[in-house]
Amino acid sequence: MDILQYTFMQRALMAGAIVGALCAIIGVYVVLKGMSFVGAGIAHASFGGVALGFLLGINPIITAVFFCIATAMGIGAISRKGDIKEDTAVGIFFSATMALGILFIGLSKGYNIDLFGYLFGSILAVTQFDLIVTTTVGIVVLLIIAVLYKEFMFISFDAETAAIVGIPVVTLYYLLLAIIALTIVVSIKVVGIILVSALIIIPAATAFQIAEDFRLMMVLSTIFGVISSIGGLFLSYAINTASGATIVLLATVIFFITAAISPRRRRKRYDLSDNVEEGPSCMCADRSADRETSLKEGTEHHEAAECSHKHPH
Amino acid sequence: MSEESAINGSVNNGRQLHLSCNCVKIVDVMEESKNVIELRDISVVFREKPVLEQVSMDIKTGSFLAIIGPNGSGKTTLLRVVLGLIPPSSGTVRVFGMPPGSLGEERHKLGYVPQLLGVDLKFPLTVEEAVLMGRYGRIGLGRRPGRRDREISITMMERVGIAHLRRRAISRLSGGQLQRVMLARALANEPELLLLDEPTNGVDQTTTFNLYEMLKELHNEKITILMVSHDVGVVASFVDGVACLNRRLVVHGKPSEVLRSEELEEMYGCEAVFFHHGRVPHMVVEDLR
Repeated sequence: MDILQYTFMQRALMAGAIVGALCAIIGVYVVLKGMSFVGAGIAHASFGGVALGFLLGINPIITAVFFCIATAMGIGAISRKGDIKEDTAVGIFFSATMALGILFIGLSKGYNIDLFGYLFGSILAVTQFDLIVTTTVGIVVLLIIAVLYKEFMFISFDAETAAIVGIPVVTLYYLLLAIIALTIVVSIKVVGIILVSALIIIPAATAFQIAEDFRLMMVLSTIFGVISSIGGLFLSYAINTASGATIVLLATVIFFITAAISPRRRRKRYDLSDNVEEGPSCMCADRSADRETSLKEGTEHHEAAECSHKHPH
Repeated sequence: MSEESAINGSVNNGRQLHLSCNCVKIVDVMEESKNVIELRDISVVFREKPVLEQVSMDIKTGSFLAIIGPNGSGKTTLLRVVLGLIPPSSGTVRVFGMPPGSLGEERHKLGYVPQLLGVDLKFPLTVEEAVLMGRYGRIGLGRRPGRRDREISITMMERVGIAHLRRRAISRLSGGQLQRVMLARALANEPELLLLDEPTNGVDQTTTFNLYEMLKELHNEKITILMVSHDVGVVASFVDGVACLNRRLVVHGKPSEVLRSEELEEMYGCEAVFFHHGRVPHMVVEDLR
């Protein structure tokens, strides 16, 4: 294929492959830990970081790294305090950092700003420097995940038990937030600030529909991520569309195809009994939801109302 | 375990009991008399609402204790205090002689079985992966599970009868099977103290009975077991101690004495306070301070 002769295309493909894989791997934890909105929030925070870079005349990627990590830590700290839920914390930072970004852009008026490229992605304009940053960050993030693979899996599945057996859950949570932030920053050149969270969530969500074990979900998510970004890049070149949007839409199409053909595996089953329940027992309907809140609040669920009957014995 | 050695308890006289325990430790050379868990005047206040008040309790090595109580009585909170997940508002907790927050290596002596309803069934995980998680604390950060870890996991799966399911996804298990997975995971940590949060919630009678049989067996192997439950009936024939909790420790003693049915009803209303300590059970009026 002759398009591969162009340097810009080679760089784009390399960046696309790295970012596609990286986002997909991080995405597995994001999806399983229920942090999709956190991902979106951090992505939008990068707008503030990029704008700050323009204002200060520094490479926007560098300012965005610090800005996003700070935002990620802020979201973590506020939601861990417990008074405010994680999604509310994200909502606050989401809009505040966007507002800051707009403010910074306004202040740096007079400069010719390539803001559009950061918002919507400009993978064909990936520079040598961008590629070096992306590769370096990619290696760092992958190393962290390679080393702490099982711990991140444990805290995603059951943070409470992980804490009990001595896993440093809080530290790892912040570390996970930091590597999500790093991944997002190096990905914004490829798909843009607005679409980057899609690249994190969609391949992992696609893999989630098929995989029945963790390792397989990792592998499938990575494959879907790379297929989407490389395939989307070629597609956008062929039909002359915006590359970031094409990548995300290709990922979405794969998601829906998978959803349609995936085995109906995730039986929603709150009834845990082997047999039909006999006699009265305290299996009241919304216990699981109740319990989740109680875990957060550190009190017991108050089922007294639901289970006021005397317990038989 | 001899029946009366298993538990010591105190409703309002924690300090005195504490001192006497220290003496026992000096005099008594027998390992069995050591307390695995010591709670002194534990109070937990959550959003200005008292969840636990002045709970003092000793749990000796090798005992099998059930904490029962009406819903909202603070029994899960008590378990979480023991696990170090909630710092008590006042009072002291000692697990293996140390505050649960700074257990260090002693953490590996803990096995925890969470409520089944809280388990994320959609998580892509095989039975073997789930059980192996029990080893993670011991394996250490950033290390891969070794052969020994896998062997122990398999042993524990065999022990609870789920070895044939090891490649199955947890989303495809029945409630009873899932419970065995959680138990095997806790056992994979090779615990000396096993803590279970409402293990009978959401499983049928047969599964409950099988679980208690397994726990009884573990108890015979000198594993200390602390179980939070509202399943009063079945508990009685298996455990060697029952503590009834309703914000305060209401009663604490041998199941045969605690669970006499007329009293039980009252206890659940917590109108009468019944306290058993030592050989002779005696009534104590609720703390009037």
